Amino acid sequence: MKRTLAHQLAANAAQWPDAVAAREKTLGIWRTFTWSQCLRDTRALALGLRALGVQPGDVVALLGQNRPEWVFGQIAAHACGALSLGIYRDSLAEEVGFLIEFCQARVVIAEDEEQVDKLLELGERTAAVRHILYGDPRGMWKHQGERGDRRLMTLAGVLELGEQALRADPTAWDALLDAMDPDAVAVLCTTSGTTSNPKPAMLTSSGFLDHAAEMLKIDPRMPEDEYVSVLPLPWIGEQVALGQWLLARFKFNFCEEAETTAADMREIGPTAMLWPPRAWEAMAADVKARMMDASWIKRAMYAFGLKLGYRALDHGRRSWISQVLVGRALRDRLGFTRLASATTGGAPLGPDVFRFFRAIGVPLRQVYGQTELCGVYVMHRTTGPVDLNTVGKPLDYVQLRIENPDRNGLGEIVVRHPGMFTGYYRNDEATRAELRDGWMHTGDAGILREDGELVVVDRVRDLAHLANGDAFSPQFIENKLKFSPYVGECVTLGHGREFVTALLCIRFSIVSKWAENNRLAFTTYSDLAARPEVAELMRHEVEAINAQLPPAQRVRRFFLLYKELDPDDGELTRTRKVRRNTINERYGFLIEALYEGRETVEVDTTITLADGRKSRIVTRLKLQTPAAEPTRRQPIQEALA
Amino acid sequence: MHSPPQRAAPLLSADGVSLAFKGVRALHEVSFAVGPGELFSIIGPNGAGKTSLLNCVSGRYQPTRGTLDFDGRRISGRSPAIRANLGIARTFQNLALFAHMSVIDNVKVGRHHLMKKGFLAGGLYWIGGARVEEYHHHAAVEEVIDFLEIQHIRNRQAGTLPYGLRKRVELARAVAARPRLLLLDEPMAGMNLEEKEDMARYIHDLSREWAMTIVMIEHDMGVVMDMSDRVMVLNFGEKIAEGTPAEVGANPQVRAAYLGDDA
Repeated sequence: MKRTLAHQLAANAAQWPDAVAAREKTLGIWRTFTWSQCLRDTRALALGLRALGVQPGDVVALLGQNRPEWVFGQIAAHACGALSLGIYRDSLAEEVGFLIEFCQARVVIAEDEEQVDKLLELGERTAAVRHILYGDPRGMWKHQGERGDRRLMTLAGVLELGEQALRADPTAWDALLDAMDPDAVAVLCTTSGTTSNPKPAMLTSSGFLDHAAEMLKIDPRMPEDEYVSVLPLPWIGEQVALGQWLLARFKFNFCEEAETTAADMREIGPTAMLWPPRAWEAMAADVKARMMDASWIKRAMYAFGLKLGYRALDHGRRSWISQVLVGRALRDRLGFTRLASATTGGAPLGPDVFRFFRAIGVPLRQVYGQTELCGVYVMHRTTGPVDLNTVGKPLDYVQLRIENPDRNGLGEIVVRHPGMFTGYYRNDEATRAELRDGWMHTGDAGILREDGELVVVDRVRDLAHLANGDAFSPQFIENKLKFSPYVGECVTLGHGREFVTALLCIRFSIVSKWAENNRLAFTTYSDLAARPEVAELMRHEVEAINAQLPPAQRVRRFFLLYKELDPDDGELTRTRKVRRNTINERYGFLIEALYEGRETVEVDTTITLADGRKSRIVTRLKLQTPAAEPTRRQPIQEALA
Repeated sequence: MHSPPQRAAPLLSADGVSLAFKGVRALHEVSFAVGPGELFSIIGPNGAGKTSLLNCVSGRYQPTRGTLDFDGRRISGRSPAIRANLGIARTFQNLALFAHMSVIDNVKVGRHHLMKKGFLAGGLYWIGGARVEEYHHHAAVEEVIDFLEIQHIRNRQAGTLPYGLRKRVELARAVAARPRLLLLDEPMAGMNLEEKEDMARYIHDLSREWAMTIVMIEHDMGVVMDMSDRVMVLNFGEKIAEGTPAEVGANPQVRAAYLGDDA
């Protein structure tokens, strides 16, 4: 059998036609798709796409929330010999336009009116798009009639076209499969684009499936396993999960709406999850925030149970008292009761979050990978002790070395394996820069320990050095800071300077609740962030975190920003990584003030709100200088309790 | 822009409706007609009689003089329950949800009058057909929940929800009956801008996508002028203008009623 997603799907449907393959919650009920139903829809969609003129080498873009149609659309595109390109559904029209234009997408499968509007808004830039297919007809009446766009078509209509084609020629589907080349590029997966426009990495069908299979060797899945598809499908981690689904035949579950994710997860009780640190951090912060609202007896139980859990964790044991008091109830509440494989990757995870989940009995493990290398290729093993400082060992078929190591063995991580990408789509220059002699230069700095475990420190170019030569990793400090429930986003600075400073954003949802509880009146985010009481609170938090850091890495001064960092303003990537260049440019005046030690800075600026309106902000920022030496003061949340 | 069939036989027509409370004249000789699929707004200063008029349509009040017809049938004089069965549903200016019931149960109440199985059949749940009927109603309710995007709160207690969401739940309950005529009494009162925009979108979609005939009282002029097919203006219980939003906006009498002089 050829190693392609379509062949694998066909094989599953032939062998287990009535086994549950996927579920989707619609109108309040989980509806199941058996393997034969998945095949039926995919087949009709593929033949429909062919009837619309999709040819090998064309690009089919997929734009929308995780839905079965998305997955079927991807496999159907491959069956036509076309390349699938996932686009994040919350991308702005501008970003969608770039990808569609750059890849010259022929067909776009868009979820609903929102996504269709984005495409139509782009006008000439989508000139190469022949057909725009949409699943949800809600709100589409305005595009109907003679003034509507000719390229619009419902997915149901395409399925009907495909059914007709199959009736006319029952061998049409087999002919499509026979024509497929498993070693041709099938998946275009966009890199997160921390520094520039996203670059689509080319992955072949066979390489993609081989890699998914290689991961399953370390972290096996069974047909009875449950998986909830929460993270965007364009992301490589979710893409590989899709490959694993076809190979291991676990159940793929799609949530009803983004807002219902938490409740839906709890109903399913997934057995495996891969989330980026941001999601785990948000969940940990949410638990802590909710505990602040709980009755004193629950708070006491929680604090006691967690303390026992941490202590047991430090001794490599599990505390059953802690599990009874806190772990079991919390896991149930979060939907983690059956979770056997919990992994995090994409960015370093703060050790505190890691310890928190391990203490409540979630077997969190770190993994490491890049889009170019088909996602995860280094992972903590499921058995044996897990070292929080490492991301685990490379998969068996992965070759990994450290290039240009310094005296501590710290250098660039360079990798190759059979499942990796073949280059960037239509970007030979970038391919040549990063793919040299078949080795992918990741740009990450790390140490390969003697026991085979990889320690990832930071991006090579993001390692920073103080004026006296002390190295520090801004991201490490930021993760520490963000573990405070009151800190939303933050950026630490200090390269070539005497000491480390930071720009902090308050976490509005939590600080506003705190302000309410403390009878503090405020109007907007900027107003709340400028309150001296809030400054006092944040100073306490930073001091508590400083106490955990080595002296060279402590935050000596900081400002509280007057707005939240936002991907829409280009300050964060869509996966919420900080874009440092933008920050340095936009907030350069604040950074100078931090190092000059100016007590106050006048700000008069205009920001664009989420709905497109502009708002002027006039405020005065006050320099905050937390104590650099650890004090005996308690962290504020305990002091308040 | 979409233009509804104007000259078709009206779905709702009022002829010389007057209402008095012990000599206080609330409505005087108000006549109007609403065509099928139309979005018809009633505006006017406080105390102009807007809600009284809506109450006359829903059956809460009986007009002292004049007649009301719905789909060719005389409804003045009939009880609110009969009018509901004919396909008239409404929301209230001040929220009237069952605070201790879940959102989904509140919405289900909207379908109560459509239930065929009675007390006895309900008791014989499995064999009496009540279960099959419940499936059917549940599906209809879930469609509304999906349409108004309140999936994430379907199991929350209605009383614990913020105001804007409660308004949306109330709309869901009215819509759950799939009425042919929907009466909305200030659906956007007390909402912030974002909630208003959402609500306007839902009402718009109900009108355009579900082709529901809607009579709406609303104070937000921007909303009324943007959304309505036609607008009627009341002042001191009398109709002073009726027409497209542009016509009504240009009417000097309307300006006077709103500005308080003949400016």
